[in-house]
Amino acid sequence: MALIDIDNLVFSYGPKAPRVLDGVSLSIESGERIAIMGGNGSGKTTLAQWIAGWLPRPGMEATTGHVRAKGRPWQDWSALDRAQTVQFVGQIPMQQLSGFAFTVFDEMVFGPGNLGLEPDEIRRRAETVIDLCNMRHLLDRDPFTLSGGEQQRLSIASALIMQPEALVLDEPTGNFDPESRDALLGQIALLPRDLTILLCDMALKPALAIADRFVLLDEGRIIADGAPYEILDHPLTAEIFGLPAVMEAAGLIRDAGHWPANARLPMTPSAVVEHFVRRVHDA
Amino acid sequence: MLEVQGVGFHYVPGVEVLRKVSFSAAAGDIVALVGRNGAGKSTLLRLLNGLLKPTRGTVTIDGNVTAETPVHLISRSIGTVFQSPEQQIFNATVRDEVMFGPRNLPITSGERETRVQEALERTGLTSQSAVHPLDLDQARRRFVALASVLATRPPALLLDEPQRGLDARGRLLLEQIVLEEQAKGCCVVIVCHDMEFVARLATRVIALSEGEISADCHPAEFFVNAKLTAGASVEAPDILRLSQELGLPPCLTPASFAAAWVAQSIELANRT
Repeated sequence: MALIDIDNLVFSYGPKAPRVLDGVSLSIESGERIAIMGGNGSGKTTLAQWIAGWLPRPGMEATTGHVRAKGRPWQDWSALDRAQTVQFVGQIPMQQLSGFAFTVFDEMVFGPGNLGLEPDEIRRRAETVIDLCNMRHLLDRDPFTLSGGEQQRLSIASALIMQPEALVLDEPTGNFDPESRDALLGQIALLPRDLTILLCDMALKPALAIADRFVLLDEGRIIADGAPYEILDHPLTAEIFGLPAVMEAAGLIRDAGHWPANARLPMTPSAVVEHFVRRVHDA
Repeated sequence: MLEVQGVGFHYVPGVEVLRKVSFSAAAGDIVALVGRNGAGKSTLLRLLNGLLKPTRGTVTIDGNVTAETPVHLISRSIGTVFQSPEQQIFNATVRDEVMFGPRNLPITSGERETRVQEALERTGLTSQSAVHPLDLDQARRRFVALASVLATRPPALLLDEPQRGLDARGRLLLEQIVLEEQAKGCCVVIVCHDMEFVARLATRVIALSEGEISADCHPAEFFVNAKLTAGASVEAPDILRLSQELGLPPCLTPASFAAAWVAQSIELANRT
């Protein structure tokens, strides 16, 4: 049984509001690493909230279609069970702080504390995520005084400590400079392989680093769903994200007749180097 | 247009955020201000738009020394788009928001109307003019902030990470607007972490490091100099590093890379 099963979901935020999701069907198996890619206003964040069980809410139901987690609609789940199944990390980390904690450590253990776990177990879980998210030097700080990037790491730590089966990340590196971004992507890549990860983003770098399945979303519809290279070849991709610079360059070289017309365009600099070496060798 | 002379600044006495910063920027310059978090970029931006006054040295905008000019007059010479559009949006419709600047300028109501229409059109917001700005998505909110600044037609523009949160369509529109402003003789200063954006657009890079200017040169000179990029803690664009690795002339954009590659291919073919 799929972890999350979405069947022909149509959704808008009000009876008169435009459709944000317009017939989305998507099945997510346990352990998958999926990037939901879409431009501004494509419906990524809304879809992510359905996947994480933050929707439906009273007054915000599906127009048609349904979402099931392990075969059951989210409405039938208790908040407690849902929190241990899927965790959501939103775009603005400040909004996710509980407001009940005066230190980073207390913020981190706020969730497991509410699960009624033994203190030893909480301590053990904390130890794991502290190192994974590189939080040890921040434990005594006031969460509200952390930088944007540090708060983002704290929200991810607070999600992981719940030991969910799936983690939904909505533009996790939006607030980061490149150095911090690469550090966080490296840490996400180290997470246990059985953890399902859903990334919503409109930058290619995080998606290429984390996901092996890309879902392309535009105007609330899934336009394409497949391996990264299939999606990167899709004409809409260039329009929405811009291609990686090397791929754009190779496309221009191909247009000028100096790149094999039937060869797949390279996504990374090293693929270009490989091609370059072969070409010089052939010549 | 902008003249920064021997500027030092501290929020707390003894802790200098900027020391001895000097540069000037002219009409038609697109200056990218780069440097790691905490280097003093945002402080410098606030010194340029007069929200902060230097504790040492002078900042002169369009002939006016900021320390002696009221902020509302400085804002006629230099328009600022802040990092979060929410910081500068406070009207109930997109149109009112964009009208706010022109309404406070000594111009006719017909002229105000023209400017607002034009700013909405250039930012793709004409059909959204009756919407509440905060009902728009992140990208469109940023364009509302940009439109409200464009409508005052300032001779200098400050953009603080304007490309953040924009998809490729949005970035393209932003690039187009910046280039149009440059063509009109506007002086544009952009704080930016996105080095591909800098490489495509900037005519000049100013790097800040520990409160001082560690580089001030053309992007091509900046990105090929590992010492300068490391000092500012930035990564040269992929395409430039690739062109260097392959022994091609340094290329800042995919188009120049493709041109260099094709030229070399032709040369290789001629040799064999």
